[in-house]
Amino acid sequence: MIFLFLCFEFAKIGLFSFGGGYATLPFLYHMSEVHGWFSLNELSQMLAISSITPGPVGLNVATFAGFKTAGILGSICATMSIMLPSFVFVVIVSKMLKKFKDSPTLFSLMYVLRPVAAALLAAVSFRLFFDSIIKFDTFSNFALKNIDTKAFLLFIVLLIVSLKVKKDPLIYLALGAIAGLLLHFNHIIKLIPFA
Amino acid sequence: MKIRLSELFLVCVRIGALLLGGGYVIVPLLVSEFSEKRNWLTREEIIDFYAMGQCIPGIIAPNTIMLAGYKLRGKTGAFCALLGLTLAPFVAILALASFVSILLKSVIMNDIFWGVNVAIIILIILTVKEVWGVSVVDRLTFLFFIIAFLMCVFGISPAIIIVLAIICGLLRSKIVKGESK
Repeated sequence: MIFLFLCFEFAKIGLFSFGGGYATLPFLYHMSEVHGWFSLNELSQMLAISSITPGPVGLNVATFAGFKTAGILGSICATMSIMLPSFVFVVIVSKMLKKFKDSPTLFSLMYVLRPVAAALLAAVSFRLFFDSIIKFDTFSNFALKNIDTKAFLLFIVLLIVSLKVKKDPLIYLALGAIAGLLLHFNHIIKLIPFA
Repeated sequence: MKIRLSELFLVCVRIGALLLGGGYVIVPLLVSEFSEKRNWLTREEIIDFYAMGQCIPGIIAPNTIMLAGYKLRGKTGAFCALLGLTLAPFVAILALASFVSILLKSVIMNDIFWGVNVAIIILIILTVKEVWGVSVVDRLTFLFFIIAFLMCVFGISPAIIIVLAIICGLLRSKIVKGESK
């Protein structure tokens, strides 16, 4: 039963996501909230690992999320279903290539879909920021002491770096990993015997 | 000359294994493997497929390679190309996925992922910035952006938002057609 449900949910992502690999994120985010198949934190981890693995990030995240939810069979279901709508569209579009390319309707559709897809992604970053750095769920429990100060500082530093230099996404993941180790230096010290 | 499916599949496996970074990397890889090395397609055709891959729902890189596969060998070609592209990343993710849960039991790995999670937010913001440049081009698109952003923040399903956007796009094309008459 979980497999049918998984197929349905991932086919929905394949049908409704437009734009780069990250376009699948708003849907996965929504999925974690509604179905609870994986936590938000796990989603970030999956995304990080998918970015350093070869292959399209969107596809990798789907494989990973499917695996997390229902094992190997789950990952097969997720990967196949996320691509199924695209496959159907490829077949249809290839048959009427010329008409499709210069269609004014398509132009109008993309004119609206592009900013909307960007907005969905912006909303994901906005909510990740508030969930994992500010730790702010509802207005009732807002407290300054909940803010993860170290994470907030790291965020600002990385943001400044991103404004100054435009480099490979891997750089940011590496910087994040290094900062994670350095800012929790006391954990490493504990590992060293007799220290 | 008919291109052999097994060869198409193997070339796509290679592309899947080499595809690192953003989805646009598919273009230079396809140009090198499909055009320069094998003369299956022209460079222009590949760039066209990439542009169309962005207008088809789903993930761009697989869309592009499926369009190329379809051109070469029809439906079977598209399916072969997709299967090839997926193979290497699929195996890599499965191998890592079973590994990660063990790794995450260690405090050090948790520290690393704490930092990586912050970096992920930056990566998403950078993607938004990049897409913003080509998508928010006037007041109307800015309005669409704000409305969709608020709807998503308040927990409305992204699928519903996209369907509404498609309806808006169709309405707009009707209006534009009406005006030009």
